[in-house]
Formats: sequence, structure tokens, C-alpha cells
Amino acid sequence: MPPLSPATLLVLVPLLPLAGAVLTLVLGRVLGSRAHLPAIAGIAAAAAVAVMLLLGTSSQVGSAHDPHAEPVRPVEMITTLWQWASVQDAYVPPASSAAAIPGTAVGGAGSAARAFTIPVALRLDPLTATLLAIITCIGLVVAIYSVGYMHHDPGYPRFFAVFSLFVFSMSMLVAASNFLVVYVFWEAVGACSYLLIGFWFTRPEAARAAKKAFLVNRVGDFGLAIATFLLWMTYGTLDFHDTLSADGTILPGILGQTRLADAGGIVGGAVGTAICLCLLLAACGKSAQLPLHVWLPDAMEGPTPASALIHAATMVTAGIYLVARSAPLFMACPDALAAVSIVGATTALVAGLIATVQNDLKRVLAYSTISQLGYMFASLGTGTLLGFTAAIFHLVTHAFFKALLFLGAGSVMHSMGNVIDMRRFGGLRRIMPITAATFLAGALALAGVAPFSGFFSKDEILASLHGKGWPNAHGEHHDAAPASHARRALSPGEARGEGATAFRVASLTRSPAAAPTAVLDTPQTFRVLFWMALVTAGLTAFYTFRAVFMTFTGPTRVPEEAGHHAHESPPVMALPLLILAVPSAVAGWWLFSSQWLAHFLTATPSFSAPAVTATAVPHAFHMDLAIQGTLAAAIGIVIAAIGHLGRRSDGPQMERFLGPLQTFFANRCYIDQLYAGLVVRPLEGLAIMAALFDRFVIDGLVNGIARLPAALGGVVRRLQAGLLQRYALAGVMGVLAIVLVLAWRLRG
Amino acid sequence: MTPLLAAGSTALLHNALLVGAILFALGLVGILARRNLIVMFLSAELMLQGISVSLVAWSRYHGDWGGHVLVIFVLTVAACEAAVALVFVLQAFARTGRLDAAAWQALREATLPRAVDHALPASDAVPPRWPRLARAGVEPPTDEDASLEREHV
Repeated sequence: MPPLSPATLLVLVPLLPLAGAVLTLVLGRVLGSRAHLPAIAGIAAAAAVAVMLLLGTSSQVGSAHDPHAEPVRPVEMITTLWQWASVQDAYVPPASSAAAIPGTAVGGAGSAARAFTIPVALRLDPLTATLLAIITCIGLVVAIYSVGYMHHDPGYPRFFAVFSLFVFSMSMLVAASNFLVVYVFWEAVGACSYLLIGFWFTRPEAARAAKKAFLVNRVGDFGLAIATFLLWMTYGTLDFHDTLSADGTILPGILGQTRLADAGGIVGGAVGTAICLCLLLAACGKSAQLPLHVWLPDAMEGPTPASALIHAATMVTAGIYLVARSAPLFMACPDALAAVSIVGATTALVAGLIATVQNDLKRVLAYSTISQLGYMFASLGTGTLLGFTAAIFHLVTHAFFKALLFLGAGSVMHSMGNVIDMRRFGGLRRIMPITAATFLAGALALAGVAPFSGFFSKDEILASLHGKGWPNAHGEHHDAAPASHARRALSPGEARGEGATAFRVASLTRSPAAAPTAVLDTPQTFRVLFWMALVTAGLTAFYTFRAVFMTFTGPTRVPEEAGHHAHESPPVMALPLLILAVPSAVAGWWLFSSQWLAHFLTATPSFSAPAVTATAVPHAFHMDLAIQGTLAAAIGIVIAAIGHLGRRSDGPQMERFLGPLQTFFANRCYIDQLYAGLVVRPLEGLAIMAALFDRFVIDGLVNGIARLPAALGGVVRRLQAGLLQRYALAGVMGVLAIVLVLAWRLRG
Repeated sequence: MTPLLAAGSTALLHNALLVGAILFALGLVGILARRNLIVMFLSAELMLQGISVSLVAWSRYHGDWGGHVLVIFVLTVAACEAAVALVFVLQAFARTGRLDAAAWQALREATLPRAVDHALPASDAVPPRWPRLARAGVEPPTDEDASLEREHV
């Protein structure tokens, strides 16, 4: 059998879970309690293929440790499946359009009309390969866990069908090479999320949460739709990649290498900023960032495996993916980029604060997810190569440890008879040692304790923010393309900025094309954001260990719902915990020390634009930042230990010292109430008005028209007298009339 | 001047058509003015025969047998029609106990008032007097249902 080509393999990654979903859907009732088999088989095969693709792509990029390596060449493979739509001469670029690139064949042609084509094309590049591997591998582990968790559920086949469908949609989302196809699968993952949040739809809270998630996501999807329209108007194409037209000229895609190689290829200014802000809105919706984060905590009404996969590890990172993929667009708009950071850091801080007073274990993790996603956004918004790779790095490690934490929470919930309020149980480490140990590993990773994976990714994010806030502190110069080694980390004192003046002043300009006056994109902004991120790091450690201490330490208590069978979870659930604990512990150290991921991602076309590569800095371990991060985590853990270690979790909590702030945070900063007052109530009022209009005006019109034949009938009805003689008379009259008419007509 | 009964005689045609028209008009007046179902039926037959007479007259005038054939055909149909119509009349009488067409005016639209010019004869109230026979022989078993079925007769 000949080896399969990468294109075939790439198609197989989404196709296998889709086949699993369809099979489960068709055969679900027949398979019964074995309904997980098609889904797990499909996802497992897809995971194997995705790992093969990852390794294959990695071998193309080359090693990170070759000192004489050329600048990394972009690695990209496109396979077009079919043309979805094709409209001839749909776009005539104006004379001074960015759709035409100076110096290329298209630019010379000027205003040649162009066809509107939507190719369903899949792409393979380092970013896609990384995400595909994460999605399918985490999906596989969570699917295995679900076999135990969803056991005996009446909707068992339905769960695995939707689960598999989600893996398909998410794979397509990260593999699609066209903004419209991305939009389609952006909606598809939203639909799968809706189906899984509302999985237990007989519970009103679950149905409401599903509706809320769907509606809030619509706001973000609106942003993506507008961004797509604007991109079409601006660039005359929606493809990421370059395409070859029939007459041999290259049609540059939005994120294609032709355009990226050209300094002025990406539109900045007002239009560019509008596009980027719309994309940011979309990302905020899907990734639950500050204005639109309200759906994620409520989404915890869904089954815990779904929360682990969709609402922690994969789907919510779609926003990160979108912004990272569109990195060149953002690079042309520094203010939009800074807005990404500001939104991210603010979300991280606010969600962290709210998480400190939550008593529902899953909600703590949900707010933690929002907070960590905010971290990634803050990192993306720095607009440096380090920032982008750090965000993806954190995405990867976060996927592992957050999935682990959620599955651990699910294990607790499973054992405690679906009780998830941390005040009602405690000391569970004696009952469920495996869950406790693995949860602790995940918590250490989340809190950013040194050897665990979260520490390294968080450190890189802090480094990227620090590098923007104090551009000279580490001797990094931002306009140097070749990576000159040997700049070492400074001592913490110098890093504070006092020593900065001792070093040569580096230019702040990121690229020749993007030097407009930036309002938000200033070092001062990023200094504030850095401190916010650092405070968040402390908060993260605090709430994580508060949850650990409340759940697993103290006197052993079990709620009465658990009955007599409070026990460790079955092996089919414990095994995924153990599997996930390994990368949660060591993936960060490995990826950081080898710089494999950072180097690998550099070959992504979006990260190989000159504007991005110009910001490359030599890899270094910043001891000062590591100390600050660890210190923040340590303070958080110590405070959590003082308040909660070994105490009864239902006693008076330490957070009561926060006073009114506790109420404020416990009510989620009243953001839900704010939306209820500002958006929901007026809309409900409008809906009532519309209903009344419909009932009285529209229905009145319809009924009025229906009454017209009845009125006409009322006139004719009077002829129906029930007397034979009258009927006969009417007949005679009719005949007479006919005779008269005939006579009149025939008189000539 | 052709003989009165000769074919193509205009005088014969005129007279015959006149008779036919009179018959037709009589029938029409009868059907519109009378309320007795049997009389109305007779009137309808009268109209039919008026037409038949004019058919015969035209046939004679043109020297053509077509009209005669048609009249034979009409007679046949009228005989069948009489059988059917009389069944209807009988059934109608069985339902109401009367031959009055106005007895069926309950079939009018519910909102309309009764349209009879005066109240129906009070004969309804008087139970019909059936001839009585002297009892003889064995009393046959009475079927109560049968008596219930024909309350008006």
C-alpha cells in the first residue's frame, strides 16, 4: 500500500470524526451501551493521523538548534477539496485598492474584474498542525473518560454523536483556509456547544444556559460576519492562501505569502482597525472575553466531559486561533493590537477576582478558563513573535491541565452524586487518591508552580508583556531581523527599568508599514497590563489552591446525595486523568527548554510576515520574571493555605474579610444583572410589543380578510330560502335572461 | 295554399307551436304557483309535453323524422323520470306526512324567517283517522319498532 499523501491525511483528520458522528447517529439505538465505539474509533484514528501530520510538518521546518539555520521558511500546504461557489466578475478593485499588490502581476493589471470563489480548501501549516493534534488528542482522552462518566445516561449515543461532530467541526475550523469556511465551522462549533450545554435539556437551567451561550455567541459571530464582509470589500478575496488564476497570475490571498512578503500588502488605518476590532469581537464571543464572557460560567450546566473538551480545552481557544491566524492584519493596526491586550488582561484580572469567591468547583474552573484565555489574548496583543508563540504555548499547556482539572472535577461530581458545591464535601483525598493527586498536578500547573507546564507558558506571556512595557530592559532590540544571541537576562534590579538607560536606546518601530501614531500601543499601557497579569497570576494560584484545599483537605465529609458509594472513579475515568497529568507536569518544561514549539510555529505563514519576524528576540529565560511569577503564585498559595488548608469547607470562609467586595464578586460583578437591565429587559419589552403587534394588527388584518368572503356570503345567503318555487323562479329568470341575451345578440 | 296537415304548412306549424307554448306556459305557472309536490311534478310533465309538441310541429314542417325520434326519446325518459320522481315524492311524504313543498322550508338558511304566506293548515294537529276493522282470528305479534318508524303515516 503506498503511503498516504499529506493532503489525504489532512482530509482524514476531520473526516474520521465525521464518519464516527454519522455512524453513531445512525446506529446509536442498535449499539446501545456500545455507542461510544464509532466515535472513539474515529477520534482515535484522527488523533493518530494528526500526530503523524504534526511530526511530518515538524520535519519540514527543521531543528531549532541549528545555529547556522537560515531564517525559517514558511511551511504551508493547501489542498482544495471543491469549489463551493463561483461568481464571475464579482469584484472590480478600485484603482488604489489593497487587493492589488504593487510589484505583482495583479498590481499591474489594475482594475481587472475578479471572480468570487469560495474554495473549500484545507491548509496544513505549523499552527494548524499543532491545534489539530491538541484537538484530537484531548478529544480522544475526554471521549474515553466520557465512557465512564456518561454511563447509564439515556442520551448516551446522542452525546457521542455530538461530541464527534464537535471534533469534526473544530478540526475543520482550524484547517480551513478561507474566512467564509472558517465562519461556517465557527457556527458549527457553536451549534455543537449549544447541543452539549443543553444536553440535559429537561433541566430548565441547562436549557437556559444553552440558549444564553448561543445568543451571546451570536454577538461575536456578528463581528466575524462583518469582518468577513469588510475583508472581501478590502482585499477582493477571502482566501488565506495565494491562488493561481487561469491566466497564470497569482491572486494574493489575505494571509498568503505574496501579500505577507510585501510591506504594504496589509491594509491599516481605519478600515484595517475596523476589521481587526470586528475579529476581536468575534474572538471575544467564542473565547468568552470580557464583554461577552457571561455564557461560559453558565455553560457548566452541560456534562463535565463536554465542559472539559469544549469549554476549557478547545472550542474557547478558537478566538485565540483566529487572532493568531490574523496576526499580520493586527500587526498593521497597533491600536487594535493593544485593544486585544487590554481586553485580555482586563478579562484575566476580573475573571480571576470573581473566581476567588465562587463555591461551585466547576464555576471556579470556568472563571479560571476565562482568566487564562485573557492571558493568551494579552500575550497576542503584544504583537511580537514572542507574544504570539507564547499565546499558542499557553494554549497548548492550558488545554492539557484545564482538561485535567475539569475531568478531575467531573470525577468528584460523579462520586459525590452530582454535588459540585465545594462547601458540601471535603477531605476527599482519602476517598479518591488518584483524582486528588492528578487534580493537584493540574492545579500546580494552573497556578504556575515551577516545574509544571503552566509556569513556563505563563512566564513567556509575562516576558512578552514585559518586553513591550520595558522595551530596553532585556537588551532586546525590536528591529533586528537576525537573531543575535548572547543577550542575557538582567538582574531583577536592572529589569525594573532603572538600568534601562544604561543600554542603547532601541527603536520602537515594529515595521516600516506600521508606524502610525498609536494611542493605546504605548509602553505605559503594557506596563499596566504587565502588573495586571502579575496580580492575576497570584489570584490564579489563590483560587486554584482554595479549590484544592476545600475539596481534598480537611475532615472527610460526603454529601448525602453520594449515598454509600462515594468511591474513586472507575479505571476508565481514572486513566484519562493519569494520561493528562503527564503532559500537565512535563510538557511545559520540555517545550520551553527545547524551544521546539516556538521554533515550529515560526514557520507558520502568519508568523513569518516581516512585520512579525522583525520582533523576534533571542530566546532567554528571564530569571527576574520567573521570580516575580513564582512569588505571585507562592503568595496566592500561602494565602489559600492560611484560609482553607485543613479546615472544614463549610465553615466561615476567609473571603468574608473582603466585605462588600465579596458580595460584588460573588454576584459576578453584577455584569449579568447589567446585561439583564440594559439588553435583555428592553429586548423583552420589544418582543412583547412585537407580540402585541402580531396578535392585534397582523392577526386583525388576516382575520379581516378572512371575514370578507363571509360577508359576501351573507348577501348571497338570503337567496337560500328553502322554497322550491323560488328556486324554480330563479331558474326561469336565468333561462329568460339567457334567451334575451341570445335574442339580442342574434337580432341582426 | 297547402293543406292544413301537409308538410311545410305554416298554419299547422303556427297552431301546433301555439298549443305547445300554451302547454309549456301552463306547466310553468303550475310549477311556480302550486305547492303540492305531485301537482308540481305533473306541471313539469306538462312543460315537457309542450316542448314535445313543438318538436313534432317543427319536424313535420321540415319533413324530417328527427323531431319525432326525439319525442319518442323524451317520452321514454319522462316515463323513467316519473318513476324516480314519484319515489322522491313518496319519500318526502313519508318524512313529513304532507305533500306540501313548503313543508321543506326548514332547509333554508337558519337566519332567514319563514317564508310561507299563512300558517300551515292545522290538519297536522288532527291525528289521521284510519279505517277500523272488526277483530277476527289470532292477533298478530306487534312490532313496536315498525309503528315507530312511520309516525306520520
